Amino acid sequence: MLSLKNISKYYQIGGNKSFVLNNVSLEVEEGEFVSIMGPSGSGKSTLLNIIGMLDEPSEGYHYFAGNAVHQLKEKQRAALYKQYVGFVFQAYHLIDELTVYENIETPLIYQNYSGSDRKAIVADMLDRFQIVGKKDLFPAQLSGGQQQLVGIARALITKPKLILADEPTGNLNSKQGIEIMELFAKLNKEDKVTIIQVTHSEKNAGYGSRIINLLDGKIDSSIKL
Amino acid sequence: MIKNYLIIALRNFWRNKLFTFINIIGLSIGISAAIVIYLIVNYDFTFDKFHKDGDRIYRVVSNFTYQSEIGYNSGVCGPLAGAIKNQVPGVEITVPFFGIYGPDVIIPEKEKVSEKYKKQDGVILAGPDYFKLFKYEWVIGSPKTALTEPNNVVLTTDQAKRYFPSLQYHEMIGKVIIYDTLKVTLTGLIKPFKQKSDLTFHDFISLSTATNGSNKALFSYVNLTSWDHTNSVSQLFIKLLPDVSPKLVEKQLKQILLKNNPPTPDRKGSSHSFVLQPLNDLHFNERFGIFDFTANSSVASKTTLFGLLVIAIFLLLLACINFINLTTAQASKRAKEIGVRKTMGSSRWQLIIQFLTETFLLTLIAVLISIVITPNLLKLFSNFISSGIKFNLPHQPNIVLFLVLLTLLVTFIAGFYPAIILSASKSVTVLKNQSLSNNRKTRSTILRKTLTVAQFIIALFFLMGTILVAKQIHYVLNKDLGFKKDAIVTISTPWKNNNQAKRQVLLNKLYSLPQIQLISVGEDPPLTGGERFTEVSYLDGKKEIKSNLLLKYGDKNYLKVFQIKLLAGRDLLSSDTLQQMIINDTYAKIIGCRYAQDAIGKYIDMDGKKSEVIGVTADFHEHSAHSIIKPLALLSIGIDKNNSEFHLALKPQSADGHEWKTAIAGMRNAWKEVYPDNDFDYEFFDEAIARQYYREQNTSTLLTWATSLSILISCLGLLGLTIYTTNQRTKEIGVRKVLGASVTQLVTLLSKELSLLILLAFVITTPFAWIAMNKWMQSFADRTAISWWIFALSGGGMFIIALITSGFQTVKAAIANPVKSLRSE
Repeated sequence: MLSLKNISKYYQIGGNKSFVLNNVSLEVEEGEFVSIMGPSGSGKSTLLNIIGMLDEPSEGYHYFAGNAVHQLKEKQRAALYKQYVGFVFQAYHLIDELTVYENIETPLIYQNYSGSDRKAIVADMLDRFQIVGKKDLFPAQLSGGQQQLVGIARALITKPKLILADEPTGNLNSKQGIEIMELFAKLNKEDKVTIIQVTHSEKNAGYGSRIINLLDGKIDSSIKL
Repeated sequence: MIKNYLIIALRNFWRNKLFTFINIIGLSIGISAAIVIYLIVNYDFTFDKFHKDGDRIYRVVSNFTYQSEIGYNSGVCGPLAGAIKNQVPGVEITVPFFGIYGPDVIIPEKEKVSEKYKKQDGVILAGPDYFKLFKYEWVIGSPKTALTEPNNVVLTTDQAKRYFPSLQYHEMIGKVIIYDTLKVTLTGLIKPFKQKSDLTFHDFISLSTATNGSNKALFSYVNLTSWDHTNSVSQLFIKLLPDVSPKLVEKQLKQILLKNNPPTPDRKGSSHSFVLQPLNDLHFNERFGIFDFTANSSVASKTTLFGLLVIAIFLLLLACINFINLTTAQASKRAKEIGVRKTMGSSRWQLIIQFLTETFLLTLIAVLISIVITPNLLKLFSNFISSGIKFNLPHQPNIVLFLVLLTLLVTFIAGFYPAIILSASKSVTVLKNQSLSNNRKTRSTILRKTLTVAQFIIALFFLMGTILVAKQIHYVLNKDLGFKKDAIVTISTPWKNNNQAKRQVLLNKLYSLPQIQLISVGEDPPLTGGERFTEVSYLDGKKEIKSNLLLKYGDKNYLKVFQIKLLAGRDLLSSDTLQQMIINDTYAKIIGCRYAQDAIGKYIDMDGKKSEVIGVTADFHEHSAHSIIKPLALLSIGIDKNNSEFHLALKPQSADGHEWKTAIAGMRNAWKEVYPDNDFDYEFFDEAIARQYYREQNTSTLLTWATSLSILISCLGLLGLTIYTTNQRTKEIGVRKVLGASVTQLVTLLSKELSLLILLAFVITTPFAWIAMNKWMQSFADRTAISWWIFALSGGGMFIIALITSGFQTVKAAIANPVKSLRSE
């Protein structure tokens, strides 16, 4: 599915390079459910963003679904991203001015689906997540768990092969967190969606098939479960 | 996709009601001004554009140079047309025509009393050639034959319906119409031009009526023989053959003039030449005017039109600046949405288009509001702009097109930069909440400051200009002109059906009115009215001093009515003739008299006769402040002169102020008894003087509006920005308060930046304003000082206005409880 070879990310501070990621290599197969763990500042989110092509590494080689990402232009990278990746955020990042329905619909708009197609796809998704009754509400009218549900629905709407989740349960209480993690496990098993999540919680990491521990920008350990 | 954009745009507008409101108000003002100014400019620039080969049509006009002063006349001497026909090969058509001043038109009817139409304008003597040059649509008759015979007339259908309201067009042909005493027969009817034209004539009497010589008065009126007389009624239009240079034709005309009217020694220092005035210059050239024998045909000033355009551009610019400022200030608020959209696959272009859609929507709302406002604006300015200017969208496709273009242009100017800025935010930084911390001094902050300064510059410039123009108008209207101008009424006795006995009767009746103090019979008042110059000479020993003397005519009461000071000698007496004159101090100096007393008894050679100086007056302003005081002589004229003017000095009004009204009513009654056929017309002298400055008054009105609107728009923008920045600094203010800052210290802190911006704008504007003021003042010979306080007042005023605008928000932020602002962080 994807492979990172000798990826580094650093910032120039004075005369010194301050490394966020230092010579990281990583392979992820299709159908895996990877959890990235590590203390604050170990580079988890940066790694996730680089995998998701939202951020660029300073050095290294990055292959994604057979493409050499480090050689692609911005536009091609965006196209690749659009086709394969869905993102789920800790802070949900729903657009406040749009309703639940419109939030879920938005990615389809950018993929040039026709109006009637969008309607059908969104209706299916609302059904599947059992949030049909909330489709006309605005994000501010929902609880955190419900907002994250919408965030996941939105990430799934374009049928991505890969879901990247940056502490998806970080802002939720434990009951809501369990629901979300079970949903991820189900997606991984039944729909064969590859999932990479960043998490602080051992318990959440346990839902996955592999745990990668980051420390000071380097991979400390990689454990298959 | 568009639907999605529109939905989010509307929800955003709703969420930021204040910003939306400020933007819409600003844009509406700018756009309304642009529409009104477009209407005015478009109106004036589309006169007489429809004539076939219009670029080859010229009017021949006359320039006179006399002792380095140039005089302009829109007419030519009578014989020129014939000479051009025979001797200038490059001319395709030569069209002379002659305006007739306000004839009374009589429609004789058998059974009833004849219908009479007083003082008609737009009556000309013209030949068939006129219709070869200007193509009208003919309803009845033919352009070839209708005006060939003498004593024929062609009317426009509108005018024909006025004369013969009950007849069909074909029944009108052959009817007799009498112009004063001239009897003519109607032979043709034409449709008036549908397009805008300064050729507004509607009665065309055949030119052969005058040229065949049977009517002596008309024959001398069109003057086919003398090269010495030029009358502005004698118009000449020509159409050149293709590729003939007008300069060449002007040279040929000069030759013809030299041959027929060779210069003589007594005309030394003066010259006469013909100039070809292009048809498209007709509507704009103040020197020649359009036609001085038709009503409502005032020239448009290109300077004024360009001034208007500049104002429109500035107001639009101000509104766009507001938009840019407010939108980029809000950028961080929208950064999250942008970041999310990017992670969901939106490209930068899609975001730019989304933001442009929002701007477009806002602009569109403003345009719709402007469409509603504009007719009211036109009403508001109705005595300022031409009555021909209409706003009627369904019938004006060019205005619809203009609005579409304007909408797109404003969308682009206002929306493009914010769209670029907003769409540039990186999704990663946004999603990491970094941009919300707002600790960056970005390019857009600098840009916002620059734009704010630009707004202040424009507003300050207008403000300074307004104060100066107002000061100059106040100065010229209130300065001591050297004569009294209040409580004087002027009435002109009629041209026709008038004689000395009638005037004497009127004079006696007027004197019997108790409110009238004194009456002077003469011609023009000291200032305003026409001007008549004559060349005089004075023999100072051996040296001959030639001067161009301005003549005024009055009687023994003239100086008393206008309270002009006599420096030496005596006033006019009833027994005086043209052989006695009172001169002004300027002329006394010119003929070498240091003291006014010295001039008394000197003889001035005028038209070959000697005239004795019997008195010298102090200088008074006989022209508007645009020119300097010239040498002048007051000559005696009696009540025996036809068409004389009466200047009536009224007694002061008492507190309740009904006397003058009663006096006017009394004058009207007296007039009606003496001249029952003529309308009574009177004018207060001070109002006539004020009217000389109508152009400056218009400029002043216009500038006041431009200033108020630009200040309003700028302040709205400033208000928005202040609200934004104080919100941004809530935390800082809270911390400072906890650390012990007082409200005053905080307000000072928050206002410091604004003060610096205004100071910068002031420093930049002042030199430009000073240059512009000097330029404008050049047109005045008599001008007020460009005082330092104009600038100080403008700068100070602007500062106070800005402080008040931002003050409310600033104080609110400063007195807020810090616990509240710090808790949420």
